[in-house]
Amino acid sequence: MQALPKLGVGLALQAPLLPLMEAPGDDFDFVEVVPDILWTDLGPGASEFPRDIFPRHIEDDAGIAMLRRISARRTIVPHSIGLSIGSAGHFDVAHVQQLRRWWQWLRFPWHSDHLAYHLAEHAGQSVNVGITLPLPRDRETLALLIPRIRHVQHEIPVPFLLENNTYYFDIPDAEMDEATFLNTLCQESGCGLLLDLHNLYTNSRNHGFDAQAQLAQLDLTKVGEIHLAGGMEMDGFYLDAHSSSVPEPVFALLEWALPRCPNIGGVVFELFGSWFDEVGEERVRQDLRRMKSMWTCAQGEVARSAMDVVAAP
Amino acid sequence: MTALAFQNGLARLIIDPDFRDAVRARGETVLEGELSALERSRLCCIAADAGMDINRTLHKGFRLGKLRALLPLTCAVLNSQRLSREVAVFWAQWPPSSFYFVPEAIEFCDFLRARRLRVKYLYEVVGYERASLELERARHGAVPDQRVHFQHDPAVLLTTLANGRRPRGIPRRACIVTATKDAAGRVHWELQAGG
Repeated sequence: MQALPKLGVGLALQAPLLPLMEAPGDDFDFVEVVPDILWTDLGPGASEFPRDIFPRHIEDDAGIAMLRRISARRTIVPHSIGLSIGSAGHFDVAHVQQLRRWWQWLRFPWHSDHLAYHLAEHAGQSVNVGITLPLPRDRETLALLIPRIRHVQHEIPVPFLLENNTYYFDIPDAEMDEATFLNTLCQESGCGLLLDLHNLYTNSRNHGFDAQAQLAQLDLTKVGEIHLAGGMEMDGFYLDAHSSSVPEPVFALLEWALPRCPNIGGVVFELFGSWFDEVGEERVRQDLRRMKSMWTCAQGEVARSAMDVVAAP
Repeated sequence: MTALAFQNGLARLIIDPDFRDAVRARGETVLEGELSALERSRLCCIAADAGMDINRTLHKGFRLGKLRALLPLTCAVLNSQRLSREVAVFWAQWPPSSFYFVPEAIEFCDFLRARRLRVKYLYEVVGYERASLELERARHGAVPDQRVHFQHDPAVLLTTLANGRRPRGIPRRACIVTATKDAAGRVHWELQAGG
């Protein structure tokens, strides 16, 4: 994967965080936005009509105006939730076209989605499960994903990243472990990895493996972005709920991984807006500053490593 | 196409608790579609996994969250207990059909209307929010005007709910409110006399 522009530390856009985003300060450098929440998708039937007369995606005027204000000061990076790239029965090229229109508008340096599926069929109609469901880690899944990733790359000529998923049950009898699957996918498709360290931490807690050991198995040259978040306990599981500050073990994973990701463009903190008051603005800023300190330190290490390579006989 | 049947089966395990229970109890015999032996075995294992229950909880939370976001006033009139009861009956009949859930929210409005519940103000508020959603999802050039019948003062009723207060003693006022969508996509509400 090519090296991404070094944007630094990002904050995921949520309406209650807007005052923080629009306030002066340099605790973060860019804003990640879920584009799907700023448009209404009228569904595949709308594609039968000429787009200029009957657009399928109706954009939210207030949301677009907000994005224009934010983009005047900071780079916007889209992190989509709607593609459902792993759905076996459906690949939504109109969704890709809508993102392409956003790229023509915002000229974002990269974009991402989730390595999962949420659209399926039930009782003869399309259903949205509303959660990102895991895919079998096998060659058949790779064969499904790779042409779709290439389609996205062709339509939107900036790097495309896929995020490692949270799973509360694993699909048994996998052909590959998760690290091998992610490495192979990135290698064969040319996509990058959005490494969600909180997802990795969540899976390690729920399924009893060593997150650090799995991290060491990943090809970190493929990592274009890292996500951090916090979670909560429920019914004996630890949830990727985006409901708290970043746990210490996740910061520890970041500290180890960052200097080993030479092509990374940024690290993003995700917090659901409904938890903002409970976590508090000061704590959010504290985590962002800590991320920035680690980012700055790691970029220095990466630069020194590169110079060592150049200087070596 | 077995991957499609596998994904549909996995989704159904989450959406449909009766199906999940049947797979837990009777195994592969209740699985449908063209599935390989490996996929059948995987679905049976997943149905028995405790993580399936968490997914079911998250799915319900997501779906309820969408209804609360799209029909905030209707949900407020129903109160949490009654809302949970009605939603459970509704979900047993309607699978989630759209990413944006506007069609589902409209279906929920129609479902509530058919239930004929004795909840004061409910059907005025349902009519109002249903009309708003109908205009939101309508395509340009094909937008029917929406007429909502009120038996109580709509301004007082809707403002009370929007401010997070329970409506009590709202003045009676039989009237019709008409909503139209202009070419720029803006919705205009107009109060008309008599209902």
